[in-house]
Amino acid sequence: MADPGGGGGLGKERRRSPQGGPVSRLGVGGLLLAVIFPFLAGFHPYYLYLLGTGFLLASLASAWGLLAYAGQISFGHAAFFGVGAYTTALLALELGVTPWLGILIAGGAGALAALPIGAAAHLLRGAYLALGSLAYAELLRVLALNWTGLTGGGAGLIGLPGLHLGGELEFARERAGGYYLSLAVLLLALAVFALLRRSRVGLAWAAIREREERAQLLGVSPTRYKLLAFACSGALAGLVGALYAHAVRFIEPDLVFGRYFSILPLIMATFGGLHTLLGPPAGALVLYLVSELLFHPLLPRLHQLPYALALIGVVFFLPRGLAGLLGRR
Amino acid sequence: MALLEGRGVRKRYGGHEALRGVEFAIEERQLVALIGPNGSGKTTLFQIVSGLVRPTAGEVRLRGARITGRTPRAIARLGVGRTFQIARPFPGLTVLDNVLVGVTFGRDSGLGPAARRREALGVLELVGLGDRAAALASQLSLGQLKRLELALALAPRPSLLLLDELTSGLPPGGREEVIAFYARLRERGVTLFAIEHAFRPLLRYADRVLVLDRGELIADGPPAEVMASPRVALAYLGEEE
Amino acid sequence: MSPAALVHSLAVGLVTGSFYAFLALAFALVLAITRVLNLAHGELVVLGGYIGYSLWKAWGLPPLLLVPLAALASLPLGAIWRGLLGRVREPVELNSLVLTFGLGLLLQNLMLGVWAGDYRLIAGDAAPPLALGGIALPRGRLLVAAISLGTVGALHLVLTRTRWGTALRATSLDPEAAGLMGINTDRASLTSFLLAAAIAGGGGVLFATFHYLHPAAGVELTLLAIALSILGGVGRLSGLLLGGLLIGVVEALALTWAGPEWRELVVAAIVLLLLLLRSRGLVAGRGH
Repeated sequence: MADPGGGGGLGKERRRSPQGGPVSRLGVGGLLLAVIFPFLAGFHPYYLYLLGTGFLLASLASAWGLLAYAGQISFGHAAFFGVGAYTTALLALELGVTPWLGILIAGGAGALAALPIGAAAHLLRGAYLALGSLAYAELLRVLALNWTGLTGGGAGLIGLPGLHLGGELEFARERAGGYYLSLAVLLLALAVFALLRRSRVGLAWAAIREREERAQLLGVSPTRYKLLAFACSGALAGLVGALYAHAVRFIEPDLVFGRYFSILPLIMATFGGLHTLLGPPAGALVLYLVSELLFHPLLPRLHQLPYALALIGVVFFLPRGLAGLLGRR
Repeated sequence: MALLEGRGVRKRYGGHEALRGVEFAIEERQLVALIGPNGSGKTTLFQIVSGLVRPTAGEVRLRGARITGRTPRAIARLGVGRTFQIARPFPGLTVLDNVLVGVTFGRDSGLGPAARRREALGVLELVGLGDRAAALASQLSLGQLKRLELALALAPRPSLLLLDELTSGLPPGGREEVIAFYARLRERGVTLFAIEHAFRPLLRYADRVLVLDRGELIADGPPAEVMASPRVALAYLGEEE
Repeated sequence: MSPAALVHSLAVGLVTGSFYAFLALAFALVLAITRVLNLAHGELVVLGGYIGYSLWKAWGLPPLLLVPLAALASLPLGAIWRGLLGRVREPVELNSLVLTFGLGLLLQNLMLGVWAGDYRLIAGDAAPPLALGGIALPRGRLLVAAISLGTVGALHLVLTRTRWGTALRATSLDPEAAGLMGINTDRASLTSFLLAAAIAGGGGVLFATFHYLHPAAGVELTLLAIALSILGGVGRLSGLLLGGLLIGVVEALALTWAGPEWRELVVAAIVLLLLLLRSRGLVAGRGH
């Protein structure tokens, strides 16, 4: 895997937008395809649900990738995802807050949840940060598991309201509302990342990632920018978690705070191409679709295999991920 | 008032004393050479001035204000630039972006993005890397890397430049070029504090020379005087160049 | 808390702590000798437990026999780990974290597939607790502690008294220098992985005698091993043991005060705390 803490060759196209290279054409093409897909698929609920979930995972991968762009490798993104999920769930169930508002607040909650570990990043680097983030997610998981009064404990929270917009915005229904909502979230995540990358903030992040000490000597405040990166990444992850909660209408600690949602974005982003804009979501979609369409029906017990294989592949064969294959540095 | 002052700077690593009570003062717009045999503590002194290392005792002052104990970032923003013996650019960024970091964050210039870009390009032109702006730092040759090191240090428009053996590894012609460049920078108002192991070219332009030997400052004065000193000759006995 | 309860907590803590140290050996050995951070450590332990459990269910073998069997069964995994992790590029620590994180998840799913999510236990015989100096401790736990301490002690002897062990220690301190001195660092690396796999596998059986097995039980064990390695200092057996005892006691006290379900939280909190303290240089350890 490209060394995310130092010499990876992927900070490059920071300033200039993809100059009509193969990837940007791919991106635009993909977007068009995504928009018309429901029509192509005849609004078949399973495919809409599949891709809708895929977009959510792609958003999560993008959020993780944003943090990795700043040189911070998180092994505990489930922490922010779970906080988002529980925030909106509790707001909806306890206070009757509409899910739309709940999701927004969940984004804020995700950002807040990211601050402690973001502050720890001042002290923890590389493997230490990875372990620290892992422990942090675990901490929150057990907290959610045992603080039964607040979170309902291990039984989780059921009966979460779905999202309504006039009619039911079901994620698996014909109206494809959920599908487009997920797509919108993905576009939002990408837009946020893209804008930040081209700005001062992105420059600071890239500098910190490439050589933190030198960045300091040139006036960059690592603490400030790391906190910002964690907050942005946490907000997006929290948003996705909240959306997930209202999509499946049931959450429990072992799931939303568990390793699954910590490791998935890591594998997906790394496989797709660390430090690139479109790499993480592309990696997410590819892996998720392969896993669901190929492995799940044929080898259901092993449907997590593509992820494991992707990881091994990246570590040994594809340090730059898919993006590297397409010649993006 | 001197631009940079060191008072009783001492650094001990376990049982080893790297610096023993070094005192010095550097005036503005001077080119001061810091020389000495290997292991005499030159780079350690730079590390202390730039804030990357804390001295065991003593302090360093910039324009009369104490900078010892402040963060490297704060010291850098006060106008202290630094190059490293082994070039340490941002490998995955373009040459332009490398310099842009210092231009953007090194001081509060109040410039907009376009203006900052122009300034970064200007710095690159100055060091002779204008045509390599779009290259990745990891793709540069050694000579080009040295130029980039200089550009990185110059980007925030420092008033004091700490140059650590920038010419090492360069052929004699290249060394001359770099030293002449130092003189040009001095004309522009920058104060330069330069460590060079192969110091003869430097002595021609230097206003003053400081000589360290095993952590002790054994000479401090104009080049001619210092080089005539037998104490200095003794320190270099057995050393090359 | 009454004095009797306090003493009891301490005793339980010491007993549990020695087992933690023993388990953590598998993690620490690999880390010290190969710089690899094996995040699948916990899963390897749990897998050993499951293997022991199946053997126990099938043939009713006593735990003392299950331990070496599970250890043997785990050896191939050690070789596989070595094969994969030997090829990881720099930075080794971070990349091995990523790879083993994934491998751990893979194992977790394999276990879920084979043994399902039910909680399982290797039930011991119903012998009464042993009373030592007025404190009643379950026999099974004492046996586990005895095996743990015994193995730690034996390993200490091997590492310090045999040539083979000295080679391992030299490799952990400075692989390059060791190589130059003629030590086969590749073999040392393989040895450490095999040894670690055996300890994990055998330890898993012991684990399963007093702790419910379920596929996700490994995370906590991995975190514990990490905590002990940081606390005790990489490459120092005595540090590991002391660290284990310390954490065992802290955990036991915390549990008596807060309740058993908070155990995993205590572990996670300790890990975070240690990481932060370590980076400030307050905790023993080799810089790596």
